Amino acid sequence: MSPRLRRHERPFPPDAQLPHPPRPAGLVLDARLHLLDRQLDDVDGTPVMTIDDLELETDADGVTTVVHLLSGPVLATRIFGGRPPRDRWHRVAWRHVADVGTVVRLGIRGDGLDVLWVERWLRDHVIGRIPGGRHAPE
Amino acid sequence: MKKIFAVALGVLTAIGGFVDIGDLVTNAVVGARFGMSLVWVVLVGVVGICLFAQMSGRVAAVSGRATFEIIRERLGPRIGGANLVASFFVTVLTLTAEIGGIALALELASSVERRLWIPFAGLAVWLVLWRVKFSVLENVTGLLGLTLVVFAVALFQLGPDWGELVDQAVRPTVPQGEGVPTYWYYAVALFGAAMTPYEVFFFSSGAREEKWTAKDVSQSRLNVLVGFPLGGLLSVAIAGCAAVVFLPREVDVTSLSQITLPVAMAGGKLLLALAILGIVAATFGAALETALSTGYTLAQFLGWSWGKYRRPAEATRFHTAMLVAVVVGTLVLLTNVDPIAVTEYSVVFSAIALPLTYLPILVVANDREYMGEHVNGRTTNALGLVYLVIIVVASLAAIPLMIATGAGG
Amino acid sequence: MLLSDLLDAPVRDSDGRALGYVVDVRLVLDGPLDGVLAAPRLHGLLVSPRTGTSFLGYERTDENSPALLARWLRHRHRGTFLVLWSDVVRPDHAPGPRDDEQAVTLRGGYHRWDPALPRP
Repeated sequence: MSPRLRRHERPFPPDAQLPHPPRPAGLVLDARLHLLDRQLDDVDGTPVMTIDDLELETDADGVTTVVHLLSGPVLATRIFGGRPPRDRWHRVAWRHVADVGTVVRLGIRGDGLDVLWVERWLRDHVIGRIPGGRHAPE
Repeated sequence: MKKIFAVALGVLTAIGGFVDIGDLVTNAVVGARFGMSLVWVVLVGVVGICLFAQMSGRVAAVSGRATFEIIRERLGPRIGGANLVASFFVTVLTLTAEIGGIALALELASSVERRLWIPFAGLAVWLVLWRVKFSVLENVTGLLGLTLVVFAVALFQLGPDWGELVDQAVRPTVPQGEGVPTYWYYAVALFGAAMTPYEVFFFSSGAREEKWTAKDVSQSRLNVLVGFPLGGLLSVAIAGCAAVVFLPREVDVTSLSQITLPVAMAGGKLLLALAILGIVAATFGAALETALSTGYTLAQFLGWSWGKYRRPAEATRFHTAMLVAVVVGTLVLLTNVDPIAVTEYSVVFSAIALPLTYLPILVVANDREYMGEHVNGRTTNALGLVYLVIIVVASLAAIPLMIATGAGG
Repeated sequence: MLLSDLLDAPVRDSDGRALGYVVDVRLVLDGPLDGVLAAPRLHGLLVSPRTGTSFLGYERTDENSPALLARWLRHRHRGTFLVLWSDVVRPDHAPGPRDDEQAVTLRGGYHRWDPALPRP
């Protein structure tokens, strides 16, 4: 059972009408609902990764922003807990993101990104070497 | 004219593609033991798969998101991952059963031992996955699978007591000598065979393979709503043949040659040859669908590049996953397990894995961010919720029934 | 900091009273321009009495169908509220693993806001 507060422990009456917060100026996204676990495509529509986690940083003015989309071993730790060493986070910088919808789209090609190294390795060593691997199916 | 052809092709493919080794074996086993008294389950299952296949196809066509992307997105890595593990396991098990089915059918046709056919069947499946275009593989196997219609022909030629068959179907009772838990165990198995999760993985991913858009939704709905029920009728005909031939003689069906025996009795060698061709096509088609589904589920969950419309070198992890799945299935069969037994387990495990697949489809089919104006109507939602309850009940009941009955023993 | 460090963390007020769990993190694209889009600024935390099932999002949107499912999930997440990031006492910026007891603590006099997503 996932953690929860029992009914008698809840600090507030559940049906209280809360005031609406001041409306922010930009597009509002809920991270888990709109970004996390969504497909990330490159500028050509080729899938790059699923967004497994986000990296946040606080600047000198105390504003915290999302700087990187993460994939790779962070998925395992999101499932099982713990945290992978920082050098094993596969990062895609937010500055490459061009659009957020039901998929998140990059403005660049995915080819050179670190996160695709397994895809490239398999192309160079396995799939690309089997006859027909580099041709379209007939 | 071209349009009519496309519509007909879609429907015929859906009919031929509906029946796989799971439907074939489960319906024959059930027909031999319970007559027509479980036909209502096939009906419930067919309505269910129509409902959710149509929904997943619509979601994929409108939003461009295939089913496992949605599962990951809505259920998150933990619950979605649990679903991935379960669905992947069931799909590989089903793939194993289908490859076994191809080998068994070829054994029937050639009298060459099935173990010699297994590596050949596995290799053939992989070669087609590797080199043949999606639409070709889908249409050819679907159309050849249509020859299974000989089971319906055979049923007529056997000249059964129709009143008796209809009576079994509309007033279902547990036959003498069978326990009530066994009856329900096979009900779950039939339900699982009709609603196997790979069908929606394949169907929704296929919509992407063929680059469907919102304009293609009505065509896809027609394929499903006409094709699947007619495919369901083929299932019923298979059960009917077994009911007519085996039930009165109290013979259990344990082999593929028994499944085809009624056809041979009714129509001789020609009909039998067609039946075997149909079984090879149906199991081969389903082997392709399940193998593709192993690639689809993994790739969509992990965000890999996937699809037959890409060159293998542009979807390398996807192709590697399928290659590994086919090799694993083939190796499992070479250990001399009985493909029929593998099939019987795969349909029951399917029933267990169902709820976590169908819930996110239902939720996203209602989400206007994804679907715009193409969200579910009220009737679809009402039916969807009813089926969600049925699916959860079947899923929860599967393991206890399996233990209580010794897997249907 | 990883987003998952915040997700599912227990939330306490300054007296240490348990208020619920972080079920989601609200971002607003009004940070400094970073590439094509503005950087998503951490705007606030969504706090619910329970952690499960909020990923379906019914308590924050006006989606109402399928009606029974929507009503049930919304009922489960009654009492969900938004707190602004400025009302959160920053967890020490130490990037080490969050031990499970480490809660997000709110300032005294924090505000609870309606969790609904603003309509586009």
